[in-house]
Amino acid sequence: MSEEVKQYIKSEYEAGFTTNVESATIPPGLNEDVIRLISAKKQEPEWLLEWRLKAYRAWEQMEEPDWAHVTYPKPDFQALSYYSSPKSMEENRPKSLDEVDPELLATYEKLGIPVHEQEVLAGVAVDMVFDSVSVGTTFRQKLKDAGVIFCPISEAVHEYPELVKKYLGSVVPQRDNYYAALNSAVFSDGSFVYIPKGVRCPMELSTYFRINEAKTGQFERTLIIADESSHVSYLEGCTAPMRDENQLHAAVVELVALDDAEIKYSTVQNWYPGDAEGKGGIYNFVTKRGIAHTRSKISWTQVETGSAVTWKYPSCILKGDDSIGEFYSVALTSNHQQADTGTKMIHLGKNTRSTIISKGISAMKSENTYRGLVRMNPGASGARNFTQCDSLLIGDQSGAHTFPYIESKNPSAVVEHEATTSKVSDDQMFLCQQRGIDPEKAVSMIVNGFCKEVFKELPMEFAVEAGKLLEVSLEGAVG
Amino acid sequence: MLSIKDLHANVEEKSILKGLSLDIKPGEVHAIMGPNGAGKSTLGNVLAGREGYSVTGGSVQFNNEALLDLDAEERARKGLFLAFQYPVEIPGVSNMEFLKASVDAVREANGQEPYSSVDFIKLAREKCKAVNLPADFLKRGVNEGFSGGEKKRNELLQMMLLEPTLCILDETDSGLDIDALQVVADGVNALRSPERSFIVVTHYQRLLDYIVPDYVHVLADGKIVKSGGKELALELEKDGYRWIAGESA
Amino acid sequence: MSDAMNIAKAVSKQEAWSRPQWLQQWQQAGLDRFRETPWPTRKTEHWKYTPLKSLTGIDWSLPEPKTSVADGIRFDDWNAIRLNIVNGELQNPGDLPTGVSLVRLSECNQEQAERFLAALEASRNDFLFDTANQAFIQDAYWLNVDPNTQVQQALHLNYVTDGDDVLSSSQIWINLGVGAQVTVVETFSAGEQGRCLVNANTAITLADNARMTHYHLMLEEGDAHHIGRVTAELQRSAYLDSFHVGIGGVLKRKDIRVRHCGEGAELRLNGVYLPKGAEIIDYHTCIEHEVPHCTSEEIFRGIISDSAKAVFNGRIHIHKDAQKSLAEMNNRNLLLSDQAEIDTKPELEIYADDVKCAHGATIARLDDTQLFYFQARGISRAEAEVMLSFGFINELLDSLQDEAVQNLLRPLLATLFAHQRSELTRHLL
Repeated sequence: MSEEVKQYIKSEYEAGFTTNVESATIPPGLNEDVIRLISAKKQEPEWLLEWRLKAYRAWEQMEEPDWAHVTYPKPDFQALSYYSSPKSMEENRPKSLDEVDPELLATYEKLGIPVHEQEVLAGVAVDMVFDSVSVGTTFRQKLKDAGVIFCPISEAVHEYPELVKKYLGSVVPQRDNYYAALNSAVFSDGSFVYIPKGVRCPMELSTYFRINEAKTGQFERTLIIADESSHVSYLEGCTAPMRDENQLHAAVVELVALDDAEIKYSTVQNWYPGDAEGKGGIYNFVTKRGIAHTRSKISWTQVETGSAVTWKYPSCILKGDDSIGEFYSVALTSNHQQADTGTKMIHLGKNTRSTIISKGISAMKSENTYRGLVRMNPGASGARNFTQCDSLLIGDQSGAHTFPYIESKNPSAVVEHEATTSKVSDDQMFLCQQRGIDPEKAVSMIVNGFCKEVFKELPMEFAVEAGKLLEVSLEGAVG
Repeated sequence: MLSIKDLHANVEEKSILKGLSLDIKPGEVHAIMGPNGAGKSTLGNVLAGREGYSVTGGSVQFNNEALLDLDAEERARKGLFLAFQYPVEIPGVSNMEFLKASVDAVREANGQEPYSSVDFIKLAREKCKAVNLPADFLKRGVNEGFSGGEKKRNELLQMMLLEPTLCILDETDSGLDIDALQVVADGVNALRSPERSFIVVTHYQRLLDYIVPDYVHVLADGKIVKSGGKELALELEKDGYRWIAGESA
Repeated sequence: MSDAMNIAKAVSKQEAWSRPQWLQQWQQAGLDRFRETPWPTRKTEHWKYTPLKSLTGIDWSLPEPKTSVADGIRFDDWNAIRLNIVNGELQNPGDLPTGVSLVRLSECNQEQAERFLAALEASRNDFLFDTANQAFIQDAYWLNVDPNTQVQQALHLNYVTDGDDVLSSSQIWINLGVGAQVTVVETFSAGEQGRCLVNANTAITLADNARMTHYHLMLEEGDAHHIGRVTAELQRSAYLDSFHVGIGGVLKRKDIRVRHCGEGAELRLNGVYLPKGAEIIDYHTCIEHEVPHCTSEEIFRGIISDSAKAVFNGRIHIHKDAQKSLAEMNNRNLLLSDQAEIDTKPELEIYADDVKCAHGATIARLDDTQLFYFQARGISRAEAEVMLSFGFINELLDSLQDEAVQNLLRPLLATLFAHQRSELTRHLL
């Protein structure tokens, strides 16, 4: 591969710029005082500080998991800073979007995020999280009129303490796993959503996460509660500047779908993946889980193209009878990226149903692993799961792996799992080329076709976006 | 021999049969026609005792016995035969094992000696020939990898071996080309006798050119809305089923 | 390891054996490693689903030497050569066919011993019970088939265990020379009474163009445990057809590992497991495609009744540069009872792009539509269930090369589902 091409690939991470704002960043290191400091900065109630400290103490006793099919130098947790906020957000906190530092908003505009309510993508409300704080949320009034709560979680702690207290940690307990415990101890900002009974959220909700400051980690926490018979579609996106050192992102997302509710959660994950030599990039260690009550539905859709290392298993606990869980995933790895991702479908209730469609694409020297659990508990009579995992290899230097765990303790539950591996075939390529399509375009067409089943689950605008993202991520992977 | 009175039946809590009545005497051939979704296949499954089809009202007498009180296998042993629209494939169980198990069970229930293995193989081979199935068919898995025509001929073969008194043919013509249809119809016609009755369920009149019925009934929305002689089938062929909605309303 | 398994008695017996010093040292090394290796728990990935509790709290000893030839398993109407291995010790073998030889590890000269131990070393893993095998085998046996020898008669290795609270360990190395061909049947049975742990290892090496048909039938009933492994190494264009059966006993665990080491090697690996009562049966298989142009086809089926548990872990590993690999694995399971449990883990690990690999796994109970078809033809529900269950595994039995093995297995497996009610199996046999 020529230097020019390498340079070209490197330059293709379009979100790799840095925003020049003055930040208030606490010194690196992690101990109980740091947690107290974070809590104090957010003026949190005592119970939440105690909750954080409990998580921290649990975390101290835990070991970093090593079962995933990824290798990376363990992060030095004492070298990271756990709280960083633009100064303009600290002093005189802006009361509305109009008062927010234009430089911050420009960051999101540059990334194509609609920050003004009058813009074309007006059907989407956005919460913008910059390092450890939310800088603003659009359409709050319109949502409020519909009874929908959509705000930064740090604000919800003050405004809706009962809801937060009731549900925080109810799906992902503090000591659930190493990174979840860390997040519970130091979590900064993230979004809080509550959809009241019987309400269909009038617009798409989305949160856009941006890491800007060097040597920090981002530990967002998102909590979405869909009350009985409500409906919400939520989307998150994320990017970070290009830096030579690795940065840590350890988030926790909890979803609660009460009886007859539906939550659709989509992710387009485009954290900085590192350069062609595998230098830099985000460590993305995320715990996402939803609990589905009677006749409710939780659907996860993810397009994962970024991060140096991904460790992520959006899961559903199908607690209520007739509840439904879905997982649609496209994970593309290139260069030296490593992804170990998949889902868990825990069937507890009767006639619960789950579908898993996973498409893994491995290019260059990357490692791409699907890891999933389907569990049919004794009570899951009449439950069904269907799983399809397909891997596509591009080039002979990458790895594609499938590690499903399937457990059944109920004879009336039916589980079907299939997996295949294939490559972009010479015949397909030749056909395209013979019709005058250049190889890179041909590969991206084939890959798009391979991912179609998942893309159709994304909200329209984002499906187009995701397609483009794949194309960009694949640049230089052929030829 | 068969008397159905005001039969109501549900499938997955959805009401499909809504008061169906029908009387069949020995030796008669009754055709049941009707649009898709009228409940044609449900009737066959309810009479044969399939799980998941729940009777919510009415009665069925079969040779002066309450049919609905019996298990599926008891009904088969008493001479009720359902020829399936889509016979299921059962890999790993050979046709021979299956046929012998079935014939033994039915004969035993009727106080007859089971066939010896040798006699049975001879008989089965003979019947295979009669329905134009290759001899190696007996060693293969039940319906495994069979074409649509072969599956239907296998149903016919079983009918010949079990010698039932009431045969219900559930859309036997579906998926058959004209030659295969001819073979199946010839087999059925050969089985017609003064003691044996048939219910021929079909959507198209075509089958009735080959198996000529004594009576034709039109089933719509879970009830018989019109009965007549074989000429009724021709009328249906010409006018379709659309008129039914108007007439029964 | 922890004191989970009490082996003091076994060790004192083993120490009293008379054997060459080098062998004694080799076995001591095994014992040392056994003691260092941690006892598997639920957190040990490879034992995650398989509790070993039934092995603990017992004073394990070694069996008394047996002089009488136990009966074990017998094939009808089959001109197979029977080699009885009683409590891990080979009884006097009769005449072997031309080109077949049998060497005891204890009687090896230095050159043979080096080759033998190297073969065993290559086949081992870091597996606790492997080290126990090395420590407690009475002897190991090297069955050799000379190059280009086509052995007409099948070789039947009839393993029998007899004794109470005994570890019965065996190790055989089956080596086929270039172009050699043989059928080997390994059957395992245990006396009606007495608790035992059968620790049986089989190492197979096939030179270029060698062909082997292999049956590995774990048939011990009662209070028997069986843990061990089968490993195979296939050189250029070698062919292995290996069929496995696991029934009965308290706990059975077999690790099967096949390495494709020469291009054009071909593997067919099939098996059935049918735990009932409170039995646990676990198959771990791993197929390594280390070179290009090899083929693997794997089918395992399980039927789990009562409160039994089955575990299946099937891994296909395509190494870097093993292009043009074809590998397919399929695992299907039937759960017949509310208390039954199955844990299955089909895995693909792939580092080459020009390959065709797939796996599939299903879990279900008997199919309602199929059951109704039987009932609609007058067959009782109970008989239909037996016939359908048997049919589920019969697809694999049907494809076996040797009728004698089919004739042994058919009645044995069919009666498992009928709870000894012969009227339910009469149309199967």
